[in-house]
Amino acid sequence: MLKMNLQFFSHHKGGGSTSNGRDSAGRRLGTKAADGSVVTSGSILYRQRGTHIYPGVNVARGNDDTLFSKVNGVVRFERKGRDKRQVSVYPVAEAAAK
Amino acid sequence: MIKAVFVHNNSNRVSGFEITGHADSGPYGMDIVCAAVSALSIATVNGLTRVAKIEPKVESDDENGGLLKVQIPVDSDSQKNLVANALAQSLEDGLSDVALNYKSFMKLEITEK
Repeated sequence: MLKMNLQFFSHHKGGGSTSNGRDSAGRRLGTKAADGSVVTSGSILYRQRGTHIYPGVNVARGNDDTLFSKVNGVVRFERKGRDKRQVSVYPVAEAAAK
Repeated sequence: MIKAVFVHNNSNRVSGFEITGHADSGPYGMDIVCAAVSALSIATVNGLTRVAKIEPKVESDDENGGLLKVQIPVDSDSQKNLVANALAQSLEDGLSDVALNYKSFMKLEITEK
């Protein structure tokens, strides 16, 4: 004879399964070159999704919104209008005058 | 997902069934599909003994649940065989309804042997 256990075909207490519990690895976004640091042409300055920070002087935006330098020079994070920010790279001589 | 397999012999009599798995249609204590399958199958196994007066060969995992394997022997008394087969066919019918209405939690197969 079997005991009438209505949870016979159920996972036991705490044994229930969940379909959650997965996450992707962090994308390591953010600043890659600090303000005032000297960078070479092509250096990545800022990793982002969308334009958290805009490209400024001598800086271009890749198709994944990464900002990179187009010239050798010094990195400057600046304001852009009222509430936006941009990053520029000024050649060393020019930067010294800034 | 609960999987139920019913074995029919050549005279289309249910000679055994195996029910495995867990329904996972709700947390422990609120899993209605599990409760339905448990009630139907356990009542049938006990009915084979108490009503049909046949001693089925039962293999079950009472510790973890999720496994019930039953073989229904052929008795010399045809009346007992009739009652036992009726109980087993009724279980198969009931579980196929459950599988029909709760497809994502249960499936049923019938094999010939």
